[in-house]
Amino acid sequence: MSYRIAVVGDQDTVTGLALAGATYTHIHTTNEETFAKLNEFFDSEEIGVLLITHRVAEELGYDFRRMVRTKRLLPLVLRIPDKTGYVSKVDELREIIRRTVGAEIMIKKEGS
Amino acid sequence: MAIALAVSPTRMELLKLKQRVGLAQKGHDLLKEKMDALVIEFFEVLRRIQEARMKAFDQLSVAHRALSMGFAVVGTLETKQASKETKRELQVEISTRHIMGIAVPAVEVGEVERSALVRGYGLHMTSSVLDEASREFERALKLLIELAELEASAFAIVRELEKTKRRVNALEYILIPRLREALKFIMMRLDEMERENFTRLKRIKAMMEKRE
Repeated sequence: MSYRIAVVGDQDTVTGLALAGATYTHIHTTNEETFAKLNEFFDSEEIGVLLITHRVAEELGYDFRRMVRTKRLLPLVLRIPDKTGYVSKVDELREIIRRTVGAEIMIKKEGS
Repeated sequence: MAIALAVSPTRMELLKLKQRVGLAQKGHDLLKEKMDALVIEFFEVLRRIQEARMKAFDQLSVAHRALSMGFAVVGTLETKQASKETKRELQVEISTRHIMGIAVPAVEVGEVERSALVRGYGLHMTSSVLDEASREFERALKLLIELAELEASAFAIVRELEKTKRRVNALEYILIPRLREALKFIMMRLDEMERENFTRLKRIKAMMEKRE
């Protein structure tokens, strides 16, 4: 099956990724609007990958995290940094590892 | 100490329990092996994520820098306009792959980079700076999609790992000890009955001897 790309974020991220060919975009202004749009994206059969900036994801908070946890296999959700390179301090994946493995795991490059 | 299951102390029950312990043990060993395999797989994916993430995010910041140039040279409004005019029809093929029974997404991205002519925005009014920005973003998008695939696999694996771990622990710390406890209880009980019987026989024999 082929799917399309959706982007949620600030003006610059959305503009850039739209130039690259992302089909669905939403510029975040208020949480309510973004949630409405996200629900639409999550229900859509067409969207395979959803990119969302860390800043917006953080602003949406718990409700968004629950949405991601309870979604189906698709769309794949990926948090990306915005123009300023902002990345959330809490790394979802690392959180989960800590819960499952019960230890912090750091992967270092070989040789360093 | 584990709480013993409620069982009647019979030989039949003893045999059944022994079978159950054997089965539980076998299941436990299998699950533990699965867990080890998952952990290895997980670390492999994690290592790849680390690399992919660095590459993708670097490319994204390069793209943002190029876009800022576009905003400056072409103008904010024109750039936004161009982003609306572009053909936004990028498609990715997503299917599922199975790693040890876990459904993991497999994403196939075709060629994301396009030439300026097929992008679709008007060429007069825009500049090559904008083409540059678009190209950088196309590269970034491709890397991001690959990263999304890896992260989704990692999440799927870790979820399965959690489930498996819970099962292993349930077997190891709850079920197997309980079964063993029950087994011990029956064995003790049967031994006790045997001893009782033995003394009873002795006593009867003594009584019969006295009567003669």
